[in-house]
Amino acid sequence: MDNGLLIEVSGIILGTLLLLLVGGVWIGVALLVCGFIAMQFAPAGIQIGAALATNAWSGSASWSLAALPLFVWMGEILYRTRLSDEMFRGLAPWLNWLPGRLVHVNVLGCGLFGAVSGSSAATTAMVAKITLPELKKRGYDEMISLGSLAGAGTLGFLVPPSITMIVYAVAANVSIIQMFLAGLIPAVIVMVLYISAIVVWALRNPDKCPPPEPKTSLASKLKETLNLIPLALLIATVFSALLMGWATATECAAWGVLGSLVIAAWQKALTWKSFKDSVMGATRMTAMIMLILTGAGYMSIAMGYTGIPAALASWVDGFGLSPYALIAVLTVMYILLGCAIDGLSMIVLTTVVVLPMIQQAGFDLIWFGIFLVLMVEMAQITPPVGFNLFVLQTMSGRDSLTVARAALPFFFLLVATAAIITVFPDIVMFLPRMAFPG
Amino acid sequence: MDPRHSIFPEWLRKSLDGLYLASGYLAGVFLVAIFLIMLALSAGRPLGIDVPAGDDFAAWCMAATAFLALAHTFRSAELIRMGLVIDRFTGWRRRLIEIACTAIGATAVSYFAWYAVEMTWVSWRFNDVSMGVIAVPLWIPQLGMSVGLSVLAISFVDELLHVLFGGTPRYEKPPANTADEIIERVMESGV
Amino acid sequence: QTAWVLPSAYPPANYHVENLNQFASDVDTATNGELKITVHPNASLFKAPEIKRAVQTGQAQAGEVLMSLHENENPIFGIDVIPFLATSFEQSKKLWEVSKPAVEKALDEQGLKLLYTTPWPPQGIYTKKDVNSVADLEGLKWRAYNVGTSRIAELVGAQPVTVQAAELPQALATGVVDGLMTSSATGVDSKIWESLTHYYDTQAWIPKNVIFVNKDAFDALDPAVQTAVTEAAAAAETRGWALAAEKTSAYMETLKSNGMQVVTPSEELKTGLSDVGAKLTEGWLAKAGDEGKAVVDAYNKM
Ligand code: NA
Ligand code: NA
Repeated sequence: MDNGLLIEVSGIILGTLLLLLVGGVWIGVALLVCGFIAMQFAPAGIQIGAALATNAWSGSASWSLAALPLFVWMGEILYRTRLSDEMFRGLAPWLNWLPGRLVHVNVLGCGLFGAVSGSSAATTAMVAKITLPELKKRGYDEMISLGSLAGAGTLGFLVPPSITMIVYAVAANVSIIQMFLAGLIPAVIVMVLYISAIVVWALRNPDKCPPPEPKTSLASKLKETLNLIPLALLIATVFSALLMGWATATECAAWGVLGSLVIAAWQKALTWKSFKDSVMGATRMTAMIMLILTGAGYMSIAMGYTGIPAALASWVDGFGLSPYALIAVLTVMYILLGCAIDGLSMIVLTTVVVLPMIQQAGFDLIWFGIFLVLMVEMAQITPPVGFNLFVLQTMSGRDSLTVARAALPFFFLLVATAAIITVFPDIVMFLPRMAFPG
Repeated sequence: MDPRHSIFPEWLRKSLDGLYLASGYLAGVFLVAIFLIMLALSAGRPLGIDVPAGDDFAAWCMAATAFLALAHTFRSAELIRMGLVIDRFTGWRRRLIEIACTAIGATAVSYFAWYAVEMTWVSWRFNDVSMGVIAVPLWIPQLGMSVGLSVLAISFVDELLHVLFGGTPRYEKPPANTADEIIERVMESGV
Repeated sequence: QTAWVLPSAYPPANYHVENLNQFASDVDTATNGELKITVHPNASLFKAPEIKRAVQTGQAQAGEVLMSLHENENPIFGIDVIPFLATSFEQSKKLWEVSKPAVEKALDEQGLKLLYTTPWPPQGIYTKKDVNSVADLEGLKWRAYNVGTSRIAELVGAQPVTVQAAELPQALATGVVDGLMTSSATGVDSKIWESLTHYYDTQAWIPKNVIFVNKDAFDALDPAVQTAVTEAAAAAETRGWALAAEKTSAYMETLKSNGMQVVTPSEELKTGLSDVGAKLTEGWLAKAGDEGKAVVDAYNKM
């Protein structure tokens, strides 16, 4: 395909996609339509309808994808338990010495919940439903409380399990377990940055923190810590199932569901109704995600038939951008996109075109996945469309611009993390390389 | 007349709604099946029990879950779309947008469903079988996809007719009343 | 000018794909650009299980796939994975010569025309303990991924374990699997020496890829172009068999240089395995009927 035609065809496809999306057509449907249009430029004689069905079948009848509904289900079950309340009581006694004190529960709590939830909005909601009122009651500044929650809630994506990572792994054809491993160290970096920021803020604004709570004995601290046992056991079950060789990476999800069911039963939160609701909630979310993935998969092979992504990649390559410049351009593009669309769509809409460029520039696809997850995390806290903002707006009664302003420092810390992993890609690649040499 | 009421006679309305819901429940059953198969595979190993072709069966349950639940998800207003721009329109303009959206949806999904059914039929005609330890005729697991998409196509046509004849879309939730509802909806977006 | 797409499931660096690219460029040269074949490697267009069907139904004009993937559909596609029937490249080539007409016929009935075949390296046994006889295989957690490997587990008393290829490295590292049969190539690709210690070069079987084209797409070509395609295919086949032999010795060297014990199986193990092989051949013959029996008889006479 020559350059003129290439630009024309890409323009038609992109324009139609934008028109359909803005016009309110369901995202999966819009992608199907654009895949169909792209297919018109495939080599002559290709059966485009049959290719749609084949691709949809092989994309959905997938063993590793079957972890997705299970992780979603796990979150649905846990949301109906008292786990977040227990998390707060378990963590709180230990944070009295640190400047910023209980604000750090937001960061640590989101990190812990991130390890049992695949979604960022769910992580935010689970932690916020307990910490927002508790922090307010104790007289902490609401802005830092909201900002840190919005920022830390995004850890739901970076700490495995993660819906966005599964979606990316499917779109980029990389290993889900490698993605999960790759996210761990960056997640620790994000948490350390957040905690440091809160410490700095607390030292500069001593008036915005209430006085320390009365000292408690070590024994009572330890007694409160026992509250963390169910959550810790659940995380330990999933990880040890993997490490001890009881389960493969995909099967871990089943252990997570089993553990969640046990916790729910033990807390007497497991009724027939709550079981049914959790199953149906997970089923609907799975169907929603799968329609988008199916549409994206079709669009992706349609583009493959036309050869557009490869041609675009070599076109961009022609500009001779340095890898850092390419990442900088992509970062700006994703921040702008992230204002208007949700993270899942952002991944499926862009990977088709961006991945060939990334490979051309010599980046590892696992590394790029983590970069993309950070971009999605940023999108969660930028207005007007930011799902963490929606959650906190509702829970706090503040408008979403206020929450967004509160979250702004944490947004910049995510940008900083993206910069750190770009300069030191080994941070991302260390664990996956250790587990999967070669 | 209740604007959410349908143009169809009561019995047809009830059977269609029942069809979407039944298909959704069936998808839920397949979700639980994925869980049980994976657990059996994992827990079975130390006990010396293997689930032959368990990976194939889990994968097929996944496809069945994904597609059978679509119509129910659509009618529960959980298929996501961008509301940023269209939410600014009201009255006849909004109605026109909804008619266009459901018409595009009905066409695209019917096309998709048609070829899914064709694929299943070709599998049956070619006598395609699975490649794992157990040879299962592929048209059987593929039924989940073709049935699910067909039901989704029906629900789209149903909605198109409904909106055309002046009904309020049933794939859009009425504005949330409580904070819990809003949070639930955000969480349903999967992000 | 005609354009064909040719999906393959293997990564661009794999020798099968390199060979395919060479084939495509040979065709391009020989036909003066009259026929352009675009190879789509790495399952980017279709995943392995879907490739044959995609070509049959006109979603791609040509494709490459591991023949034995389709053994459930027609036993003749599984003739090259009957354990211990053909245990060297020479024997495998002979087996291919006698089975080729039957394979061609089976493909033809599905609307496909065979272009060429290339072999993978022979299959050996990986374990982390000494295996001197078949009895030593008892109790191993044995990866069962098709009818043959599952039957072997049953016959030697190993525990069949279902693990997907994508999860194999992790399954090996955590001990979910501690015995498997695969090629030296897969062993190298998954750095198997990090979890297992012994490689028994049993040359149990030599699987092959088949490269085929949709008959209608082929028939629509000019006779001159058809000839060019067939000639390029013949050259690719010769190249492929030579490449496979070359790569096999390189893979074995890599295994050795990484501290893997590469062992020639003991007589006792060999005898035990050929008994297992005989039972599996019997099982295959029962499925494959007269046509299959004729092929195996012809092969045994050679
Ligand atoms: Na997570
Ligand atoms: Na945003």
